[in-house]
Amino acid sequence: MVDLRRMGAQRLARLRDQMRAQDVDGAVLLHDPHVAYASGHVGAAVDASHANHRRAVAVVGPDGPVGLHAHDSVDAAASSVAELGDPLWPELDDGAAAVGAAVAEVLGDVAGRRIAVDGITGAMARAGVLDRAELVDAGRVLGPARVVKTADELDCIDRSQRHTERAMVAAQAACVPGATRSEVAGAFLAALRHGDPDPGSDHRNVIDPIFQPMPARRDGGPRTSTGHVAFPTGVDDPVFAAGDLVWVDAGVGWHGYMSDFGRTWVVGRDPTPAERSLFERWMAVLHASLAAVRPGATLGDVGRAARAVEPEETPWLPQFYLAHGTGLESAEMPMIGTDLGPGFDDGYPLEEGMVLVFEPVVWSDGVGGYRAEEIVAVTGDGWRALGGGHHYEPFRT
Amino acid sequence: MSDDLVLARRDRVLGAMAAAGLDVLVLGRQDNTGYACGMRRLWTAGTRPFGAGCIVVGATGRVHALSSWDDGIEPPMSFDDLYPLTWNPRIMAESMAAIDGLAESRLIGVDELTPSFQRAASHFAPRAEVVAADNLMAGVRRHKLPAEIEAIAGACAAAAAGVDAAVAARDGADPAAAAIAALAAGGVTVPSSGVQAERRDGGLAVDVGVIRDLYEGGVGGLFVDSRRAGSAALTQACRADASHNDLSTAATSPDWLVRGLGMGFEQPVIGPQIGLGEQLEAGMVLSVSDGDRRDVVHVTADGAAILSKRL
Repeated sequence: MVDLRRMGAQRLARLRDQMRAQDVDGAVLLHDPHVAYASGHVGAAVDASHANHRRAVAVVGPDGPVGLHAHDSVDAAASSVAELGDPLWPELDDGAAAVGAAVAEVLGDVAGRRIAVDGITGAMARAGVLDRAELVDAGRVLGPARVVKTADELDCIDRSQRHTERAMVAAQAACVPGATRSEVAGAFLAALRHGDPDPGSDHRNVIDPIFQPMPARRDGGPRTSTGHVAFPTGVDDPVFAAGDLVWVDAGVGWHGYMSDFGRTWVVGRDPTPAERSLFERWMAVLHASLAAVRPGATLGDVGRAARAVEPEETPWLPQFYLAHGTGLESAEMPMIGTDLGPGFDDGYPLEEGMVLVFEPVVWSDGVGGYRAEEIVAVTGDGWRALGGGHHYEPFRT
Repeated sequence: MSDDLVLARRDRVLGAMAAAGLDVLVLGRQDNTGYACGMRRLWTAGTRPFGAGCIVVGATGRVHALSSWDDGIEPPMSFDDLYPLTWNPRIMAESMAAIDGLAESRLIGVDELTPSFQRAASHFAPRAEVVAADNLMAGVRRHKLPAEIEAIAGACAAAAAGVDAAVAARDGADPAAAAIAALAAGGVTVPSSGVQAERRDGGLAVDVGVIRDLYEGGVGGLFVDSRRAGSAALTQACRADASHNDLSTAATSPDWLVRGLGMGFEQPVIGPQIGLGEQLEAGMVLSVSDGDRRDVVHVTADGAAILSKRL
């Protein structure tokens, strides 16, 4: 059972530990996941243009309540660490002075002090808000605080994932020859509203859900800089045909915590033996990766374990990763196998409470590819799965 | 989207840059990127950390964008104008170095500032000063082109189909789910403000805000016996030269908001506590909310033309 008050208090304590360790005197936060981490407030899942204009702002000092300014309604339990002030309009020249006042109310005079900030709007810059402070990127304190999850945070991800899996049953049933991507997406989005186990704390869809029919060959789709396939493009509304291999990717937030659902579906027929073979190889990559997951193992160790079972070609998309974290953002650290390179991966040990979303891809040019996602949390001696163990139909029931 | 509209918007951006003396514009906001080059990409909710999503270079007239593939881009942009997604700041710096006209620029405008971008800019454009140019983009977007008005009207019609479906949902059915399904049947799955539906006050309060082909549409109201309640006075007050006082006098609910609408939420923003010095101008398109009732209007020399379907 998620305890929202405890989750908020523990997150704020972790953030302040990082602020102290890095001599940061205060934080002025305008980016949604940062505001959520510091204050508990999660706004509506709206377009960025709306979120930018109706920004929630959190101001964090070394102690005392977090100053929270929000346009959307605030959940008292989730935001029990915060003191609520008037909504702010940091995007507007008209609203900049009030932002300065909100900062001063929590932090006093910021001149000469070290302040973490994640964004300065043009209006704030023109008004000179934070001008005389020594500014550092807020990610430097938020990043290390967020990477290891509390038990409540892990529960939120688990709940969100299970709900996403339930809604995907309706989407898969709708994914038939002649259906459009948007119709399948509509079935998923409508189903998200049903069967919520905790009415009142709704699940919020945060990504236009992806149901992308994939080409059988690497050069069968848009031109790419990687030489591999383009995914997720998210811009067309294709009509599904029998035999399409459809890569599915969706993310839903619960109290801000992101699920990440990935599967490969086959439209209107059973998988061929060649497609089944892709799936079996994908499963072998997943199992080999998971066998390497434990506290103290590095990201490099896990990546090598995955490559060992697919020595001919790296079993993930070159622009992404073998695995990424999830939390208040759907792709956060730790990331395994990115273009940050082997040095980064070998220097990054796993810790208990980190989350990994594995998303290997096994490709055979001419047949196509199998891609799915599985979320695990690192435990004291290995890992445990988050979510309900969704099926792999039509590859395995 | 028509090539003419993509080009017309880009020319407006380049013209505003020249007038402001900007050599380069670095855009992090997805809506600004869409305005400058017509690019569509996967929709995700909420704020994003600032990064170089799109780079407009005055000297070459070219627009460059962050993407690892050429799906979703519009002519005259081509694959050669793209720089790939990377997690590695060193690789990003190499991409920046390869953009003609960036290294020698003297004045770079950005639509948001961060300490890390300031640091990065001192490497890829060592002689440049970085200044806020959010208001340049807001200014350009404030007045709509005729093709934009058409696109917004189309998005409003899509939103109205969602409202109709919610109102038609039987008692016991979930009106929001009905709206979502109807929108999806029309090919629309991206929200601006999204779908809100609540049975109260003897009726159904519903508001639908969507994005279709990069442009926003919306409409809302309290429906009692399938008829929309509330006053149209605030909508009618949206004439050229209307002041904050004119709008606040016309509003019938303490909860009113008049704000720009185009490629999402835009300026001006005028409400009970904000926008006191604003004045409406012909050419603006506005989302006009007065309590539950919301319409989208085009401010013309002859008054307010309603773009959302008359419900």
